[in-house]
Amino acid sequence: MKRAKNRVGERNRKVFYALLLAFPVLQFIIFYVCVNLNSILLAFKVYDYDTGAYSFAGFSNFTFVFNQFGTVIFQSAIKNSLILYAFTLGIGVTLALLFSYYIHKRFPGHSVFKVILFLPSVISAVAMVLTFKYFTERAIPAAWESLFDKEIEGLLANPNTTKGTLIFYTLWAGFGTQILMYIGAMNNVSDSVKEAAQLDGAGALREFFYIIIPSIYPTIVTFIVVGVAGIFTHQMNLYSFYGTSAAAELYTFGYYLYVHTKVATSYADFPELSALGIVLTVVAVAMTMTVKYLLEKFGPSTD
Amino acid sequence: MNRKLKKFLSFRSAFAVIFFILLVLYCISLFLPLGWGLLTTFKSRGEFRTNILGFPQDFTFSNYIYAFQNMDVPVPLGNGQIGYSTLLMQFVNSFLYAGGCALAAAIVICITAYATAKFDYFFSKIIYAIVVITMVLPIVGALPSEIQMARLFGLFDSIPGMWIMRANFLGIYYLVFYSTFKGVAKEYSEAAYIDGASEWRVMTRVLLPIVSPIFLTVVLLKFIEFWNDYQIPLIYLPSYPTVSYGVFTFGNTNATEASSVPMGLTGCFLLLLPVLVIFLVFSKRLIGNVSMGGIKE
Repeated sequence: MKRAKNRVGERNRKVFYALLLAFPVLQFIIFYVCVNLNSILLAFKVYDYDTGAYSFAGFSNFTFVFNQFGTVIFQSAIKNSLILYAFTLGIGVTLALLFSYYIHKRFPGHSVFKVILFLPSVISAVAMVLTFKYFTERAIPAAWESLFDKEIEGLLANPNTTKGTLIFYTLWAGFGTQILMYIGAMNNVSDSVKEAAQLDGAGALREFFYIIIPSIYPTIVTFIVVGVAGIFTHQMNLYSFYGTSAAAELYTFGYYLYVHTKVATSYADFPELSALGIVLTVVAVAMTMTVKYLLEKFGPSTD
Repeated sequence: MNRKLKKFLSFRSAFAVIFFILLVLYCISLFLPLGWGLLTTFKSRGEFRTNILGFPQDFTFSNYIYAFQNMDVPVPLGNGQIGYSTLLMQFVNSFLYAGGCALAAAIVICITAYATAKFDYFFSKIIYAIVVITMVLPIVGALPSEIQMARLFGLFDSIPGMWIMRANFLGIYYLVFYSTFKGVAKEYSEAAYIDGASEWRVMTRVLLPIVSPIFLTVVLLKFIEFWNDYQIPLIYLPSYPTVSYGVFTFGNTNATEASSVPMGLTGCFLLLLPVLVIFLVFSKRLIGNVSMGGIKE
């Protein structure tokens, strides 16, 4: 009797479990699994304008994509995407870690700085970009003229400063989420370890490099590894700054893929974009695995 | 040692002084453009030509009035005809899009995390592995395929369609809910089972109330994310432009009156306002401690 009751209870649990997961799993199958499978299939197809249907095209889309790597746009995209990642990693992550440490140590103004550093993350990218664009193009030249009596071009209009300004903007507006994660991880570092270091006479910087960094290393690795994927998806805010008309030498792959999907007048352009997506995904997966392996092999140890 | 003295002593560290200065400079660099932008919204187009930097001489709300009356976005009506969506309609679309997507996503994440954390089946482990793998597996360029799929299922150009498309459990918030549910003591649910409560009752009356503060935080963060997003509505919702979409269009227009700097900035500040209010009211909740990675100890 008791066993039969248990069996009914277990069956009810399974039915309840299945009902809870039915929609999430179905949604995942359609909008992740099927979308990505369809993307792979699309990459091997070509659109027939006469019939309005796709037909198998072998590797022709991939040939087209590889030929594109010789064009100015693709070469700029490779260069800019890598430069942006290097700056985000070298300057962005370093500053974010140091700022987080300042807040974690509860140095003067820490709670105000925490809110302000997070602020750009909640402000719309369009609003932030437009304000920044008008400020650099109108306010800074006007201020320069009134201070030094000399006319200058806007930082975005001047070709010598355009890329630097765009990279600066990405770093400047991108601290928010990182800071929160790093502070969260730093707060979890054992107080006894920090106190022991302080008793040994370690200053703030020594504690940062020898205690904090090794302790939160898994969080840093996660951010850097996830960031590798961003190399090929980051738009450097080009669409917000320029719409569809950014100069060829400013392109990133993220911008190229978005703009070409946005302006595609028919399904005919989709197969080539999907082929490019697959090529970049293969490169990104390889890079992600390599970066993860290197960071884990050569990272700091807590011993 | 009193707090003031402690604060003073912490400033003796060179690190603290240097980074205090850097952070103050960062704050100035952030508020200077925003402050200048806000002041500019109160200048007329004519005044801006001669007074770019100073305070507005003829303080005017005309840009805001003009924006409310004219910040229309063209929308396709079918049969090749074009209609216009007013700013008020864009706000309605934004609330429906951001509110609906945020709620749908938070519910799906929370329910999936609950099921996989509380029911120790093999399938739960698969779901957990899927979330972790998809976080580090970079998929690039699936947008064309997703558009096709949205059209196939009739979800394209439909706000409820976007709710369904955005209601996925992938990402960091799943892990946050998962670890919270795992951390809740079993005694809570076991006591309810002994009292004869059903699975549904245990979930809705015992365990979900425990995670309600996290749920609210996730809804707010997701709401802000969707409210600010204009690139997805630009592609998927051509008939239902959101305010972000409108501001982007407004900022890139060549129409004589609307193309001025004060007007562009007015659009920006109209877009900022709801999010700023949410941020100021819930700032403590939104920037509470979140931990993603493990700790080596």
